[in-house]
Amino acid sequence: MTPPSPSSVPAAPPAAAAVTIDGRAVPFRPGQTVIQAAHAVGIDVPHYCYHPGLSVAGNCRICMVEVEGSSKPQIACKLPCAEGLKIRTQSPLALEARAGVMEMLLVNHPLDCPICDQAGECHLQEYSFAFGQGATRATTEKTHLPKNVPFGAKVVYDAERCIKCTLCVRFVDEIAGTHELAMGGRSDQEIVIMTAKGEFTTPYAMNIIDLCPVGALTSRDFRFKSRLWFMDFTPTLCTGCARGCNVTLGARTGRLMRLEPRFNAEVNRWWMCDPGRLGYGHVNSATRLTAPRVKQPDGSWVEVTVEAALAFAGALLRAARMSGGGMSGGGMSGGGGDVLCDGNLALEELQLAKDLAAALKGQARFAAAVGKDGDSLLIVNEKGANAKGAEALGLARQSAPAPALVLLVEEHDNVGKALRDGSGAKVVFASDATHVPASAEVAFPLPTFAEKDGWLVNVDGHVQALRRSPQTGPQGLTSAVELLDELLTELASPRGGRGLSDVRAELRSLPALAALIWTAVEAPAPAEATT
Amino acid sequence: MTTPATRRTPETKVLSLNFGVPDSWTLKVVRERGAYQALEKALKTMTPEQVTAEVKTSRLRGRGGAGFPAGVKWGFVPKSSPKTKYVVCNADESEPGTFKDRYLMELDPHLVLEGCLLAAYAVGASVIYIYVRGEYPLSIARLEGAMAEARAAGLVGANILGSSFSCEAWVHPGAGAYICGEETGMLESLEGKRGHPRIKPPFPAVEGAFASPTLINNVETLAHVPWIVTNGGAAFAKQGIPPDPANPRAVGSSGTKLMGVSGPVRTPGVWEFEFGITLRELIYGYGGGPLPGRTIKAVIPGGISMPVLTDAELDVKMGFDELAKAGSGLGTACAIVMDDTCDMVKACINIAHFFADESCGQCTPCREGCHWLEKIYKRIDAGQGTLADLDLLASLFGNIEGRTICALADAAVWPLRSILKKFRPEFEARLARPVTAVAGQAVMS
Repeated sequence: MTPPSPSSVPAAPPAAAAVTIDGRAVPFRPGQTVIQAAHAVGIDVPHYCYHPGLSVAGNCRICMVEVEGSSKPQIACKLPCAEGLKIRTQSPLALEARAGVMEMLLVNHPLDCPICDQAGECHLQEYSFAFGQGATRATTEKTHLPKNVPFGAKVVYDAERCIKCTLCVRFVDEIAGTHELAMGGRSDQEIVIMTAKGEFTTPYAMNIIDLCPVGALTSRDFRFKSRLWFMDFTPTLCTGCARGCNVTLGARTGRLMRLEPRFNAEVNRWWMCDPGRLGYGHVNSATRLTAPRVKQPDGSWVEVTVEAALAFAGALLRAARMSGGGMSGGGMSGGGGDVLCDGNLALEELQLAKDLAAALKGQARFAAAVGKDGDSLLIVNEKGANAKGAEALGLARQSAPAPALVLLVEEHDNVGKALRDGSGAKVVFASDATHVPASAEVAFPLPTFAEKDGWLVNVDGHVQALRRSPQTGPQGLTSAVELLDELLTELASPRGGRGLSDVRAELRSLPALAALIWTAVEAPAPAEATT
Repeated sequence: MTTPATRRTPETKVLSLNFGVPDSWTLKVVRERGAYQALEKALKTMTPEQVTAEVKTSRLRGRGGAGFPAGVKWGFVPKSSPKTKYVVCNADESEPGTFKDRYLMELDPHLVLEGCLLAAYAVGASVIYIYVRGEYPLSIARLEGAMAEARAAGLVGANILGSSFSCEAWVHPGAGAYICGEETGMLESLEGKRGHPRIKPPFPAVEGAFASPTLINNVETLAHVPWIVTNGGAAFAKQGIPPDPANPRAVGSSGTKLMGVSGPVRTPGVWEFEFGITLRELIYGYGGGPLPGRTIKAVIPGGISMPVLTDAELDVKMGFDELAKAGSGLGTACAIVMDDTCDMVKACINIAHFFADESCGQCTPCREGCHWLEKIYKRIDAGQGTLADLDLLASLFGNIEGRTICALADAAVWPLRSILKKFRPEFEARLARPVTAVAGQAVMS
C-alpha cells in the first residue's frame, strides 16, 4: 500500500477494484474469483472441490452464492470478480441452494461417522451442522459402491463415502504429474479408479488423504488408530530432509500418531512427501532411551539420575581435557576433544555443542546423509534437516569415520553406524539405545524433533521453528540445550549458565546467521492447523 | 372414435430434397442435383464475412434444441487466431425420440459436409470434425464415404476447388453417452477424455476443441447453410415465422425444419415444413393421429427434455418462441406422443431413469438427484409412496434445476415437473393411501 502523498495533485486516487459481498466492499486483484476474494477477507464460503493449489472443477456446487441480477445461484469458485458485482452468501437463495447440495451429498452417503477416521475433521460433518437439515428426507435405498479399495500400499479408498470432488485426481495430474487416478463410471456409479497397477509412482500420494474433504481416502498408517478428539496437535516441522516442510503433528498418550502438511507459501505450500510423513518411526521406537545411563566396569548399563550422569560425564570430559592428546595410542589420536553432531540438531543445540567442543579444546562437526531422491517438488538430497544451519555456524561436515569425544545422534541415519562406531565417543546423546556405540561410557536420552523446541534452517535459508509436542515421546526428558549447558558448567566454561532464550538471542545477533531468512520465527506461532 | 379432421400443409423440401433419390448419398448423384454449387459460389464470389453475413440475415436458429441464432454464434469466433480453428458438427443425436439428423447423414451426407465446409470457410477453420453418435453405424459409413469422395474430387483437403481455402474433415464416432451431445462434453470426448461438460465461459467459440476457437453447430443447422448461400439469407428469412415486433425476445423461426413424430401414432416419421404448422397438424395430419380406439394424452414437442403438452394444447405453432410461450419448447422438433394407455408414473420412471443413467456424474445435484427422483417414482409406482413424496419431488426439482454445470439436469426436471403438474391425480391415486380427487385428502385406510 502506497501511503497517500499530500503534495500530489488533488485527484481522487483510483479506488481499488471491489466486489460487494454481503454488503461489504471486498477488494480483489484481476483474475481473482469470488471465493478467493471472500476467503482473503475472512468471509467463509463453503467448499469441497475447490482448493487454492489446484485447478477449478466446479462440481460439488456447495459454494453457490446469489449474484444480484441473476435468478440462478452461481458457484463462487469459478465466478470471476468484476467491479460492481454484488454477491450474497447468506441470502435465502444461497442458503437454500447450499442446503440442497448438502442433502444430495448425503442421499447415498453411508453416514458411518462412528467408524470413520475422518470424523472430527470432515467437511461433510461440518457443513451438515452448518447448513444441513436435522431430519432426512432420503428414505430410499442407498447406492452401493466399492469399499476398502487399496490405492497402493498407503491409501485406502471408500467409494460410498466419496463425494466425487476429484481433488485427488487433480492432485496426481497437476502436482504429482503421475496421473495414477481417474474418474470411472458415470452417474451415481461414478468412482475414483486407480489407473496404474498396484502402486503410486509419486512419493506424494498421501497428500490426497489430506485433500479428501471426507473420509473416502484414509491412511493405511493412521486409520483406526485414534479418534481425533483424543489427540493434540502441534504445528512443527518435518525433519526428513532439508526442505523443512511445515507439518501438524498429531499425538496421543506418548505416541506420535501422524504428521500432516501445514501450509507455508514459501516452503511446502500445502504438501509433504510420503517418506517424510511416515518417517516418524524412531519417535515411537520401543528402544528409546528414557533415562541417562552409565556403563559399569563389567560392561553393563545402569540407569542413573540426570545429575549423576552429568557429574559422571563432567568428570570424564575433564579428565579427557586434562590429558589432551595424551590419549594417543588408544586410537584416539586427533579429535580428542571433538564433538560430532547430527545434522538434524537445532541451531541452539549446535551452538552449545560448539561451545562444548571449545571447552574441550576440540572442534564441533556435523554429519548428515545425502540421498539420491531429490526432485523438483519438495524432496531434496540433503537429509540434514539443519545442515544449512550447521554450516552457517561454521561446523565442518564429516562424511568418513573420525574420532570424537562427544556424539549427538538423533535419527534418520544422518550419523550412520560407521561414523558412530568410528567416533569412539565416550559421552553420547542419543534418542535410541541402538544408536549408542560400544565405546560410550555415559549415554543421555536425546529428545527427537517431536519433543523439542528449536530452530532449523531449511535448504533455502528459512529459519523455522520446531515445537515440542507435549504428548509425544518419553515424558520428562531434559532438553539437549539444558544438558549441554550443564556440561559446560561442569567443565567450568564461561559459556555455561545459558537457557534457550539466551542462546536464541545470541543466535539472532550472530553475523554469520544474518543472511538467513528469519520471517518464519518472527511470526507468532500458527494456530492449530486444520486440513 | 374418429380422428379430428386435420389440415395437411404441404411439405417444403429444402433439406430433404434428395431424400428418396436412388443413391442420394453418392457424390455422382447429388452433384448433378446441385451439391457443392454453394461452396463453389462462396469460394469464388464471396468473402468469409459475406457468408457469415448471409447466415445472420437468414435468422437461422440452431436446430440442436436451444435455438441460438447461428450467425451470432459464428460471429463469436475470433477472426484472427494464432491457433488452428475448428468446426465441430454435433451429430451425436441421442435425444430420445429424435431421428432427424440421422436422415440427413444417411440420405444426404454431402449436404452436411458442404454445410460444414461453408461454415469452416466463414470462420476460418481448417479442420472439421463430425462427431457422430456411435449407435449410428450407417451415418458414420455414409459420412466417411462422402468425405472420401469429396477428398478425391478436391472438395476437401488443400486448395478446395482451386481456391486458397484448405480444410480437412474427419468423422469422430462417439462411444454411447447422451452427455456427449452437450457441446462441451462432446469436445472433451473429441479430445479423448471423459465426456464431462465444461464450465462456461470460456465458450467454445473462444476456447473449444484443443483449447482453440471452435464453432459447434448441429447437423441440421449446418445443412441449411448451402441453401442460404445459394439463395441468400433474405430468402431464407422470408420462410417460417417472422419475428414479433412487439416482443424483442421473439426473434422468429425462419426457414424450414425437419419435424418428426414417434410413439403410438398411425404413421410415425420425419417430414420437412416451414415453421408455422401446428403441433396438432404434425401429429394428426402427418403422424396420422392416435392408433385406432386410442386418444392422445400427452406430447413432448421435441425430444424428451421439454415439458409435456396435453391434447388440448396441441394447437400451438411449431416455432421456438411459440412453444416457449406455451410453457414447453421446440427442442429437436421430434415429438414424442403418449396415448391414453400410457401410465404417467411409469413414464416418469422411464424419463428419470434415462437422465439418472446418462448423468455424467460430475455435479452433485444431478449425480445424486436424478437417481433419487427415479427411486421415488419407483416407490410410488409400487404403491408405497405417500403424499409427502409428491412434495419431495417438487422440492427436488428446485434443488436440481439450474444448480449444475450443464443443462442435463434441467432437461431431466422439465418433463418430470410438467407431468406431475398436469397429471397429479394419477400420482395421487397410486399412493399407499390414495387421495380422492374430490376431497384432495388422504383416504384413511
